[in-house]
Amino acid sequence: MTTRAQGAGTETAVTETAVIETRALTKRYPGPVTALDELTVAVAPGIAGLVGANGAGKSTLIKILLGLLEPTSGRAMVLGHDCQLHGERIRTLIGYMPEHDCLPPDVTATEFVTHLGRMSGLPATAAKERAAESLRHVGLHEERYRQVGTYSTGMKQRVKLAQALVGDPRLLLLDEPTNGLDPAGRAEMLDLIFRIGTEFGISIVVASHLLGEIERICDHLVVIDAGRLLRADTITSFTEVRRVLLVEVEEGATPLADELARRGLDPRPYQRALLVPLAGDATYDVVRDAVADLRLPLGRLEQRRHSLEELFHDGGEPAVATTEVRDAG
Amino acid sequence: MPADDAYAAGPGAGLAGQPARGVIYDRGYRRYGGVRLGRLQIALALFWHSLRSSFGIGRGAKAKILPVITFAGMCLPAVVNAVAVARGGAPVVFYGTYTFPLRVVAMTIFVAVQAPELVSRDLRSHVLPLYFSRPLRRLDYPAAKYAAFTVACLIMIEIPLLLLYLGTIVSAKGNSAVWYQTRLLAGGLGVGALWAVLLAAIGLALACLSAKRAYATGAVAIFFFLTWTLAQIIYSVAGHPLAHAAPGHPPGAVTVQAVTSGQRLAGLISPFTVLDGVRQWLGGKVPGPMSPPGHYGAVYGVMFLVLLAASLTVLAVRYRKAGAE
Repeated sequence: MTTRAQGAGTETAVTETAVIETRALTKRYPGPVTALDELTVAVAPGIAGLVGANGAGKSTLIKILLGLLEPTSGRAMVLGHDCQLHGERIRTLIGYMPEHDCLPPDVTATEFVTHLGRMSGLPATAAKERAAESLRHVGLHEERYRQVGTYSTGMKQRVKLAQALVGDPRLLLLDEPTNGLDPAGRAEMLDLIFRIGTEFGISIVVASHLLGEIERICDHLVVIDAGRLLRADTITSFTEVRRVLLVEVEEGATPLADELARRGLDPRPYQRALLVPLAGDATYDVVRDAVADLRLPLGRLEQRRHSLEELFHDGGEPAVATTEVRDAG
Repeated sequence: MPADDAYAAGPGAGLAGQPARGVIYDRGYRRYGGVRLGRLQIALALFWHSLRSSFGIGRGAKAKILPVITFAGMCLPAVVNAVAVARGGAPVVFYGTYTFPLRVVAMTIFVAVQAPELVSRDLRSHVLPLYFSRPLRRLDYPAAKYAAFTVACLIMIEIPLLLLYLGTIVSAKGNSAVWYQTRLLAGGLGVGALWAVLLAAIGLALACLSAKRAYATGAVAIFFFLTWTLAQIIYSVAGHPLAHAAPGHPPGAVTVQAVTSGQRLAGLISPFTVLDGVRQWLGGKVPGPMSPPGHYGAVYGVMFLVLLAASLTVLAVRYRKAGAE
């Protein structure tokens, strides 16, 4: 399955412009643990969300893309380069922000990002300039002369993003960039990523277990579970599928469900209410008539989205990030 | 293009209605079109960075205290010798051994404190993924660190030797005396290079096993001091007359004449005495801390290579693993 990204008509077209492409990519660890299982996916330029529960294989995929891990079988391409053959070349084109803390506490952000700019292959002067610019882009100004150890979590995440940006990458791989942030910090980080993806002309892959969060900023989504592809598509097609109507009656939910089913809808119980796929305005009419005919006390009628859990249970496929999605929502 | 808009709007306006703070121009994102260095040049940059941090350069003043003190300590004998020679006395410090116990103590402290500075910090704060997601290959990192620390140890050992040389030739009479000193210096520098190569390898290998700096320093210091002390104990035990009294002789009646094999091999335990064994095997005439290795000289050569190879293997394995984590 490939992403049906904007403007890409055929599968070939997607393949040619894909920033990331894998074919039957498999990684098994001794154990035996299968981290990636025949994963075939193509990711178009733009901002892509790589979604999966913890342990779904996101980090393994990122490490293979960086050329740090050898796949057991299959192929992975980044920006048209084979990960196993041209890892070094790929790493000059990618900026990587790891999930975990990776900052020494006793250097200033400027020193640290400058040094990593040098490590990205920038000459000394250019590294200094670009470090200052990267830190400015992520919103660190005077603080950048302070030691990283004195920073808040939000500022540390920004430094991690700045070091990924310093080498002027063509593609950013961000692993759980909102990790450890409070809701306001998350929103700021997501806005920042969105700005980088849309204004800086850099493609971004954001790995996250929180779909509710990253869907706001992504053009397309790749959902993996247990190392296999669940679905890859544009964000709009995800959203279409997910439009549902929540109907809550104070009593008589079961008869209402039967009635709605009789009228051609597909209601499913959700907590004490019912969820009905929303096809259009006609759905509202059907629900209204059914409730009126049964003389039930209608408590709530609102349009909302499926939770991701329900979305992927539709096809009888395993759940992704069930609790986390609710938390984020 | 948002970048152009912001640029045209100037300060203040670019910040969406916020009051202008000073003159901050949001120029938007600029691509980098300049030179990109290759892998070897990046490794060279890491080498320089590591060499500087070996002496606390680029860090706070506190980080420089210890390197400065140990370096000054290492230079002291050269100064003392220069004064002694200037007063017409004989040289009191020799190029081959310098002042052996001082060198052991100073280098142990320097390596124990500075080797963790080079490797434990990055391990502790998990910076390695950031290096390995850049063009450097996995073994480039330990290679650059090892090269840098070897040069740092060379500076610690060879510069005092050069001072010793300068202090001596100032008072030397005639060209032949200067030439003689130069030949001695060359030998001393060679020995110093062996010291630097081996101590840097052992220091980094032990330091990279622990991400905690204090443990890393402890491991290096304990290893160097313990083996050094052990070598001396075994040396004196192996040379005890009772241990080698011939049958029939009353205990205590025997005085040790010959150096025993045990004594000749005792030095194999400590890197410092291994280094001195190699020096004497290669023709160093100045008496060392222990008896000359005699016909076991080659064993010291082998031991030197074994220690070096083992240390470098530990380093390589450590970082091959670290990259895949």
